[in-house]
Amino acid sequence: MATETHCPYCSLQCGMKLSTGSGGSRRTPEVSAWEEFPVNRGALCRKGWAAAGLYGSRERLTSPLVRDRETGEWTAVPWDDALDRVADGIRAAQAAGGPDRVAVFGGGGLTNEKAYALGKFARVALGTSQIDYNGRWCMSSAASAGIRAFGLDRGLPFPLADVEETDVLVLVGSNLAETMPPAARHLDRLRERGGKVVVVDPRRTPTADRADLHLQPVPGTDLALALGLLHLLVAAGAVDTTYLAERTTGWEDVRDSVASWWPERVERVTGIEAHELRALAAMLAGRKVMVLTARGAEQHSTGSDTVLAWINVALALGAVGRRGAGYGCLTGQGNGQGGREHGQKADQLPGYRRIDDPAARAHVAGVWGVEPDSLPGPGRSAYELLDALGTPDGPSALLVLGSNIVVSAPRATHVTSRLEALDLLVVCDIVMSETAALADVVLPVTQWAEETGTMTNLEGRVVLRQRAITPPSGVRSDLEVIAGLAERLGSEASFPTDPEEVFAELGRASAGGPADYSAITYDRIRDEQGVFWGGERLFAESFAHPDGRARMYAVEHRGAAEQPCTDYPVHLTTGRVLAQYQSGAQTRRVRSLPDDGPFVELHPLLAARIGIGPGDVVRVATRRGEMTAPAKVVPTIRPDTVFVPFHWVGANRLTNDALDPASRMPEFKVCAASVTHG
Amino acid sequence: MAERIVVVGGGMAAVRLAEHLAGDDRLAVTVLADEPHAPYNRILLSAVLEGTHAADALTLRSEEWFAAHGIDLRLGARVLEVDRAARAVVLVDGERVAYDRLVLACGSIPTLPPIRGLVRRDGTLHPTVHAFRSLADCRRLDEAASSLVEEGALAPVTRPRAIVVGGGLLGLQVARALAVRGLRTEVVEGADHLLARQVGPGAGRVLARDLRRLGTEVYTGARAVRITDDGLQLDNGHVLPSDLVVLTAGGRPSTALARRAGLMVRRGVVVDHTLTSVTDDRVHAIGDCAEHRRRTTGNVSPAWEQAEVLARVLRGEEASYDGDRSVARLRATGLDVAVLGDPERAAGEVVEVTNPVAGSYRRLVVHGGRIVAAALVGDLSRVGLITQLYDRGTLLGPDEPGQLLLPEAADAPTPLPDEAEVCACAGVTAGEVRACGTVGECVDRTRATTGCGGCADVVRRLVDDSPAPVAVG
Repeated sequence: MATETHCPYCSLQCGMKLSTGSGGSRRTPEVSAWEEFPVNRGALCRKGWAAAGLYGSRERLTSPLVRDRETGEWTAVPWDDALDRVADGIRAAQAAGGPDRVAVFGGGGLTNEKAYALGKFARVALGTSQIDYNGRWCMSSAASAGIRAFGLDRGLPFPLADVEETDVLVLVGSNLAETMPPAARHLDRLRERGGKVVVVDPRRTPTADRADLHLQPVPGTDLALALGLLHLLVAAGAVDTTYLAERTTGWEDVRDSVASWWPERVERVTGIEAHELRALAAMLAGRKVMVLTARGAEQHSTGSDTVLAWINVALALGAVGRRGAGYGCLTGQGNGQGGREHGQKADQLPGYRRIDDPAARAHVAGVWGVEPDSLPGPGRSAYELLDALGTPDGPSALLVLGSNIVVSAPRATHVTSRLEALDLLVVCDIVMSETAALADVVLPVTQWAEETGTMTNLEGRVVLRQRAITPPSGVRSDLEVIAGLAERLGSEASFPTDPEEVFAELGRASAGGPADYSAITYDRIRDEQGVFWGGERLFAESFAHPDGRARMYAVEHRGAAEQPCTDYPVHLTTGRVLAQYQSGAQTRRVRSLPDDGPFVELHPLLAARIGIGPGDVVRVATRRGEMTAPAKVVPTIRPDTVFVPFHWVGANRLTNDALDPASRMPEFKVCAASVTHG
Repeated sequence: MAERIVVVGGGMAAVRLAEHLAGDDRLAVTVLADEPHAPYNRILLSAVLEGTHAADALTLRSEEWFAAHGIDLRLGARVLEVDRAARAVVLVDGERVAYDRLVLACGSIPTLPPIRGLVRRDGTLHPTVHAFRSLADCRRLDEAASSLVEEGALAPVTRPRAIVVGGGLLGLQVARALAVRGLRTEVVEGADHLLARQVGPGAGRVLARDLRRLGTEVYTGARAVRITDDGLQLDNGHVLPSDLVVLTAGGRPSTALARRAGLMVRRGVVVDHTLTSVTDDRVHAIGDCAEHRRRTTGNVSPAWEQAEVLARVLRGEEASYDGDRSVARLRATGLDVAVLGDPERAAGEVVEVTNPVAGSYRRLVVHGGRIVAAALVGDLSRVGLITQLYDRGTLLGPDEPGQLLLPEAADAPTPLPDEAEVCACAGVTAGEVRACGTVGECVDRTRATTGCGGCADVVRRLVDDSPAPVAVG
């Protein structure tokens, strides 16, 4: 029989059916289309079709493993022994240096229930402020900007299908045709309707191939591009002054600040030729416009200001809150949205509440049955947390769930050395990831459709990923791991292991918060094919600030933290390929997905300059590390820029750990590099 | 007590400096702007004249912005003199404003060419003559152009004529603006080609041809010598009938204050690498009025770079101005010009691709493998990239400069080999698609087209036409 569930990967959370044959046999489950689910209407990319490929994999971990620090040998141990060892380590660390000596690192792929339980575990069972997660490296810049501009952060404040209703769709730093392929079908339908698609990306990606206008800016200059665009819209009298007067504050400062961004100045900064910018402005003036940003615009030390600049464009056009228009962020990870709402972020409590808000603390402490004063305050952001590991003031023990830090952290060599400096590293994973391989204790957990849980997709639609297959014996769910540790640590709060029970508690804890799940139940999700928190469309009448208005901020272009120089003369940018997902811990192990390893994409002009032909080994070096990989010589990338996908160990040894001051997002998308024959 | 910084001038350089000093409470900044309105973007005046930029959207920073950032902005404040001994400036109304540091950002003043009849006995300009420097100039010219266009509409036979004196960047922008507005426009340039300060004769000829194609006559090597009510007389004897004359023939640094204050002035106020007067280390100069290494400049990019350097100097940081990489771009509909550095005088090897037939002139000056200057006229392809390589001093390969100037090679349509991946979402090759009889069969067997849908066209063609060549990309 077939169970309706959702893909294990990106934030689309495509609906799919999973069947295991009769009697729940152990043969590989089969994926089939779930035509009725509105987000993807049966479409899937090859990652989704191959989603069951990890089931029954030889690399699947099925027993807790403990590493001997002397010999490096792994020993399989019973669950009780493994959990005892972890609890002992936690107690030892906290006895030596207080609660903050133990840190927790979560993931944007964890279900809402797990993210919630993990946040509660950290604050109540561990009493530590030191918890953050890899979502900080995903869409935190857009989240920070959304909260500042609108008073609320929901990736898309409308259903994805609204894309088809706009006049002009502007995709800034999104390659959705490869990163979330079924979403690209909306672009085609938009264009069939006569709508236009604009793509802003330093590479001519498969998404850009489907655009009416493709702008290829210097990496790190999307902000200046937005300022220049707004300049031209102001110059042409194309801004919606009535909307600005009635629904926003701060417009006058923003308007004046873009007076100094005339097209030829923008050209010098961004590399976008003045006539191209004029073409974009002409395309947008007087039209219904939707601006969507993704990692390309956001993963910068200026990411949150960049998003604010594009939000200003959308607001100036009167687009936000209007049907088929507005601003949205294309969230990346499967539960990138829900993962940031329920308390695994250093500064938050469930329901997207702030941990430094006394009313929020009182409410959540009430649900948890603890004293508000017992809750710790805000902790370090993801990178800062990792950077502090094993230092005199930092944590000496770390618990990792749903994250492969060694591959995905910026300046990864340094971060790896921080992990190695820990007294105790515990990793919950399904396979021996590069991070698990460094651990003292590895706990094998259930994955995806082996367990039930909710995910909140990029639209803010809460979906139910139903259990469809039987997990291998020997593994436990993350919820069970959390409960087992909490019990050993003598926690006064309860940690249920039934997902539906956890979800009900999450609903109570989030009640009254910005992201309020209290009215959502598993039954409603099943009946309604997902439930939007906050409603299907937001901001039609007002924004979430107390005065109901959107706030506009005059932001300035600062540029990348690291600029090319004589020794490192090109820009390095990083990104994804279609067949792989994130750190590749799952997809690299699915045999039907092609894995040719990383490559270095560069332009023929640059290749000729350094004497490289297609397939030649290229060495890419930055101030932080180096890697080698075969060259992919393509005319579709800027000649002053090289691209490396980050699904394998390597790319992030090179990336810059400069952080955005507001979102604490590292600058994954640009740094200065040298490229030479390898 | 905060250090008192007094800035004389309210133009582009002064505002940039103020922006960089804003928020530093160790400094008390006063900006003395002689124009009556909040600082505006002078660069855009020709776009306002042309009608491509709203006249009410020129303000760079409002009076409220200055107030909110603790900067004392005085509009309409004319400085009479600088009393260096007392460290104060004296305003026209007699008020004295004391300073610890004085910044001269006085800009430049238009030069009046030696044309008889230009200035009347009472000292005013001939009524058909306009300068083009300030917002007030722009408004006056805008009104004059509008009324001439209206008159012209009533009497179409005698289309109103405008003459722009000066064939530099500003002159060409104004000429294009007036032409776009509907005036019959001519340009008179004393040098033997247009843009003589920036480019050589070849580029100038391409530009003149472009202008003529756009309906604007160009007279080079011709000086206006006399203006009458009938028109403008040239030194070759021609009289060009004119209803309107705009003077754009350059400006000179505004140095009268500095000169009277006894500061060293050659063409501009002489400053060192910290933008400090060589005469008085409490006085600085930036922008058009400053002279650094025997050079004065006349555009915004060095002025802003100087403002940024001086802001650091004033905050006590190490900073030094060592000349700049300037990029001049003509902002006028239908004329494409970019000048990087000094392409006529920079030392280096010249790589040039010109096609006077098609109207393009492209020249790179390369020194030690780096682009040190460039002129692009009539064809701006890759101007964004060339500017990046120039600004960043990127070391290029030997073939690169030439390739940068040639058109980008278009992707030739190639037949898809059987092993080429057609559907990335499902990992389907052209061969697998060709093996299917219909699109429906292909979808069922391979799942091609069921992901992002981007390959639908290619799949249809492969199924229909196989094994015919198929273009992709």
